[in-house]
Amino acid sequence: MAGRSGLTRRQFLGNSTATVGSLAIAGAVPRVGWTAATDTIRVGVIGCGGRGSGAAENCVASAPGVKIVALADAFTDRLQGLKTKHQVPDNRCFVGLDAYQQLLAADGIDLVILATPPGFRPIHFAAAVAAGKHIFTEKPVAVCAAGLRKMLESAKTSVEKKLSVVAGTQRRHEPRYVETMKRIHDGAIGDLVSAQCYWNMGGLWVKPREAGQSDVEWQLRNWLYFTWLSGDHIVEQHVHNLDVINWAFRALPEQVHSIGGRQFRTGPEFGHIYDHFGTEFFYPNDVRTISMCRQIENTTGNVSERIVGTKGTSDCGGSIQGEKPWKYEGPSPDPYVQEHTDLIASIRGGAYLNEAQQVTESTMCAVMARESAYSRQQMKREWFIQRCELDLMPRAGLKMSDALPVPPVAVPGIYELPGMPKADGGKRKNK
Amino acid sequence: METKMNAPQIPGRDAAILAGAATLAGAAVAPVHAAGSDEIRIGLLGCGGRGSGAIRQCLNADPGIVVVALADLFPDKARKLRDALMKDPKYAGRIRVPDDAILGGFDCHEKLVKTNTHLLLMATAPGFRPWQMMAAIQAGKHVFTEKPVATDVAGVRVFMEASKLAEQKGLAIVCGTQRRHEFSRVELMKRIHGGAIGDLIGGQCYWYGGGIWYRGMKEGLTEMEWQCENWYHFTWLSGDQICEQHIHNIDVMNWCFDGPPKKFTAVGGRACRDYSTEAKKVAAAFKNDAQWPKYNGDIWDHVFAEFEYANGARCLSFSGHSPGTGRSNEKIVGTKAVSDCANRIMGHKGEKIWEYSGPSVNGMDQEHVDLIKSIRAGKPLNEGMRIAESTLTAIGGRLAATTGRTFTWDWLLKASKNALVPDRSMWKPGPGLFHPISTGCDPLV
Repeated sequence: MAGRSGLTRRQFLGNSTATVGSLAIAGAVPRVGWTAATDTIRVGVIGCGGRGSGAAENCVASAPGVKIVALADAFTDRLQGLKTKHQVPDNRCFVGLDAYQQLLAADGIDLVILATPPGFRPIHFAAAVAAGKHIFTEKPVAVCAAGLRKMLESAKTSVEKKLSVVAGTQRRHEPRYVETMKRIHDGAIGDLVSAQCYWNMGGLWVKPREAGQSDVEWQLRNWLYFTWLSGDHIVEQHVHNLDVINWAFRALPEQVHSIGGRQFRTGPEFGHIYDHFGTEFFYPNDVRTISMCRQIENTTGNVSERIVGTKGTSDCGGSIQGEKPWKYEGPSPDPYVQEHTDLIASIRGGAYLNEAQQVTESTMCAVMARESAYSRQQMKREWFIQRCELDLMPRAGLKMSDALPVPPVAVPGIYELPGMPKADGGKRKNK
Repeated sequence: METKMNAPQIPGRDAAILAGAATLAGAAVAPVHAAGSDEIRIGLLGCGGRGSGAIRQCLNADPGIVVVALADLFPDKARKLRDALMKDPKYAGRIRVPDDAILGGFDCHEKLVKTNTHLLLMATAPGFRPWQMMAAIQAGKHVFTEKPVATDVAGVRVFMEASKLAEQKGLAIVCGTQRRHEFSRVELMKRIHGGAIGDLIGGQCYWYGGGIWYRGMKEGLTEMEWQCENWYHFTWLSGDQICEQHIHNIDVMNWCFDGPPKKFTAVGGRACRDYSTEAKKVAAAFKNDAQWPKYNGDIWDHVFAEFEYANGARCLSFSGHSPGTGRSNEKIVGTKAVSDCANRIMGHKGEKIWEYSGPSVNGMDQEHVDLIKSIRAGKPLNEGMRIAESTLTAIGGRLAATTGRTFTWDWLLKASKNALVPDRSMWKPGPGLFHPISTGCDPLV
């Protein structure tokens, strides 16, 4: 991150992040291959756990002529399900931390599904773009500033190479959301002046550490609980809701101020992530929004978004109240399938889709909120994406047998965010 | 709680005071060295930092104010305050506190309400306040009370009863939420309530800062006394920071909406508040080393709450303590414009629409001026219900975070069994009362 080339890259990134989804070009763009709707699309799955297996099934179900032809996972046991079901031959099943490289080197793969723990995503995404694959990427797409910058570069390259990219922020493919957003953008609720979004729930799965498991294996199998792998739950989960708010505003927050902690889920089996965050985002014109996420048992659940305009409000997903009340009454296809339908259509020459930058930007919001909470400092987005030096990926050449100590739980006031000057770095002046 | 004071003693109905009010015709400044007839005799309950400030602000508000009693759990504090006030030439002849009017102990409020006073100032740890307030109102005293006025729901209900009783008895209750007495905010709120920014559809209020004091061990204190000396660190005494400090900003939000929220959702916790070095010394002094964490206090260091008001507007309440941070203000968002809740109205794009340009005043002085004027005019201000509601709003935010549950104002006010403060019989030197630090999923009671 240091040196001359770093500065150049920062300048580039500063420009490239100025507008939301500017690379998500609408309309058909002439592309190499995939001109016929009947061509078989051959899919490789990188990360065959719960979500990867789900995404693979959704992909196959989304359109005719889609076939799972190669699998990669860190663990043999994790890819058995897809292997058996889709009769993927042994020589196209790759295991280990470098399995993604072997899969991308194999021939006859058009589309890859990226569904490993998100910490690896920037590396996998870059490799898939370099290999010229179309991509379905699960969210989030990074866990740290370095990863975000890598993703932004790859996103740009993927557009240059005319690769289709769809992200697992499936609300973007739900008609009830799409139709609501059209109306919001057409002024149905006036100027947008406030918003709220939530992912409040109980706990998630945890797998007991087995005898003989290395640090790396234990952490990979419990990836939710380690920031280098999941980004913490605000990044891993709440990014869905943050993405909706960005979508509504058609802008990114200029600043963020977050608080959080680890109040209930304190055992070592839960790694070092927090169990709650409360975040305020500052959008242009000093529009301030509430974001709340929590994973604590026996608490009130709420996963939703709400946008407030001068003339009405909306749940962003099918309902508008106010001067022009409206309710979505159209079809509601499974969004987890629809996102693949749209992707396959793009690959086959329909409306070109590339959501790489968009999902990177929403991931950025979540990552910087987490860092704001860990450091308890208000920070500017421009500072974060251009100057923050946080790089969570362990050194290159990570092995499954490696020891890897768990970082301490972030304590505000003690936690140091790389790149942030002690006194005033990234802090927003109070108005 | 018993009282032997009777109706004629109530200063609001005191002929001498009413006579004084007639001649003053509501003027803020009474004749210096007034005759005994227009004197208002006051007593202070709680002679710590805030009490010492409040009594000076009260003395400054009206030359007819004389101090006749000072009470504190620790009588030394009362004595020191008397000596300091006596030394100030500004208050010459107005500090008339003989040794037997220096009142100490956990029952000092019961002694204070029996003194020959018209007005009591209350500035003890907020946990005790509802019962102290009830005693004062039953005894027929006007009251200036610091905020907040309770730390649990049970206490809020007692305070509300006391406020209703004060209304019946014609007694004043003014509270130390001084923003309500700042001219600029009063003028701004008139405009907001008049529709200047349209319908209210959002808002934010904040109080976060670097942290607070932790008082170590003092020779000779029992555990309960030590706890009262370090009251901020215990939820039953302070209500936690959202209640003790952030209530100022919450009160402004309630002022904007002209009532409390209808629904509460919040997250919060304790991520960095740590006094373990000092707490271990305290534990050693109590020969209780193994249990040192309880002396570290049970309050949190952040609460992030959403208040949904009657019209559906969802507002943010953001409070906490952590190193190197600071903010205390509010913003209200309307359909037509926004306001800083202080002295300005702006358009949604930041353009200036209105700015207060009248005289400015320190609300912490003005609240006493308004209180004394109202007493002299025979029209005592009673802010009791309003401050009880704002206190309950803060408690609601805290409980939503400590339980992880969303609930309504009606449930909170009518059904919650939240009660942290021990029975009056437990207010005595001896063992302290220690609750565990909440894990964010406490049972909702």
